[in-house]
Amino acid sequence: MYLVADISVEICAAKSCKLCTQYCPEANTILYSDEMGKDKGFKYGSAYVAVDRCKGCAQCVWVCDNMAKNNAIKMIMIDQLPVAALTDNITYGEKSTTAALVSPVVG
Amino acid sequence: MSLDYVKFSSGFEKFMPKEYRDMVEHGPFGKKVSVSQMGSFKEVLEEHPMCAGCAMTLFIRLAMIAFPNPEDTITVGTAGCGRLAISQAAIPFVYGNYGDQNGVASGLSRGLRLRFGDKPKDVVVMAGDGGTADIGFQQVLHSWFRKERFTTIMLDNEVYGNTGGQESGMTNRGAVLKMAPLGKKFEKMDMLQMAKVAGCAYVATVVPNNPRRVESVIKKAVLIAREVGSTYIQAYTSCNIEYAIPTDKVMEDAKNVENDRYQFSEYITDEAKQFLTERYGYKEFLPKPAAPAPGLPKA
Ligand code: SF4
Ligand code: SF4
Repeated sequence: MYLVADISVEICAAKSCKLCTQYCPEANTILYSDEMGKDKGFKYGSAYVAVDRCKGCAQCVWVCDNMAKNNAIKMIMIDQLPVAALTDNITYGEKSTTAALVSPVVG
Repeated sequence: MSLDYVKFSSGFEKFMPKEYRDMVEHGPFGKKVSVSQMGSFKEVLEEHPMCAGCAMTLFIRLAMIAFPNPEDTITVGTAGCGRLAISQAAIPFVYGNYGDQNGVASGLSRGLRLRFGDKPKDVVVMAGDGGTADIGFQQVLHSWFRKERFTTIMLDNEVYGNTGGQESGMTNRGAVLKMAPLGKKFEKMDMLQMAKVAGCAYVATVVPNNPRRVESVIKKAVLIAREVGSTYIQAYTSCNIEYAIPTDKVMEDAKNVENDRYQFSEYITDEAKQFLTERYGYKEFLPKPAAPAPGLPKA
């Protein structure tokens, strides 16, 4: 198994600065959803990770901890994530995306 | 080469992979996108085999978002790590033989002008420090002396990262690398000064830990190269493998190096300032309002 980034919606949605989306070296890997977070009663949406594209570098963890000072991202073994976003289940909208979360491990 | 080249041929839509459909429907073609919208539109860069956490990858990602007209852009590169990602984008990529990328780009940019006249078609060279300052040096310098109208971007990781860690002209003096075990004996080449001497209209240094700045300098460089002349951007894009930087410290390293020896710098000729102001509505070069006159002594 291997590590991928996991963003806590509860912590991110309190700030939702989108910094990590600008610093992940991989394209379309950290995405942003206006819905995620709002559906849990938070004012803002949240960033989330398309784990099938994440290379596990943890650069986003440094950015969220040190630049955003929000500590919302942790590295987690992919099989420890009950559900996560995968590229196939992401829908792009006008200004935001939505993701149907599924188990990231097949079988 | 236009917006149409990415569109589906009718009837084929359902056979295209999801990533491609997303790119056509929600990509940056024909729209203005900016780094502040990252994470909410489909980027032109796809998955690629560059190392995890590589700052060069981040820079290439930002550069492609910054291109003013991605649908009217061709990238040119050469051997080195960067082309592994640059070639995996929905932007045509020409792979020059090692060292001849600025020669290829010269012909390409002239050819596009003959074929398309005034309609802007942007040519952007992205090559490493070895490709630009060592093996491609002669063709790079000559393209600048000839004032060829395209942008040259050096992805400066200060090492030959792709071939196991040999020193390049851009490696710092004293740096010890796997294939330079005694440390480099010569100074880092001053390509910025050479670019100015050779007549580039715009020269800038950036580090990818400031995405908005990367966006701003690339936009300016590409726009100026449309008419005024050659433009050059030198970007510090560390090799975390050869310099043994833990991947979660790559941005910390970028910040330290920026503060130490890679400070932001921007050189722009008066002609280029005037061009950006008049043609593209840039405000930053307008004369600043005169400071208010010192108060007259009260009567
Ligand atoms: S940097 Fe942290 S707080 Fe900011 S959007 Fe990313 S996860 Fe959320
Ligand atoms: S761990 Fe690296 S690749 Fe994965 S989301 Fe974070 S910055 Fe992107």
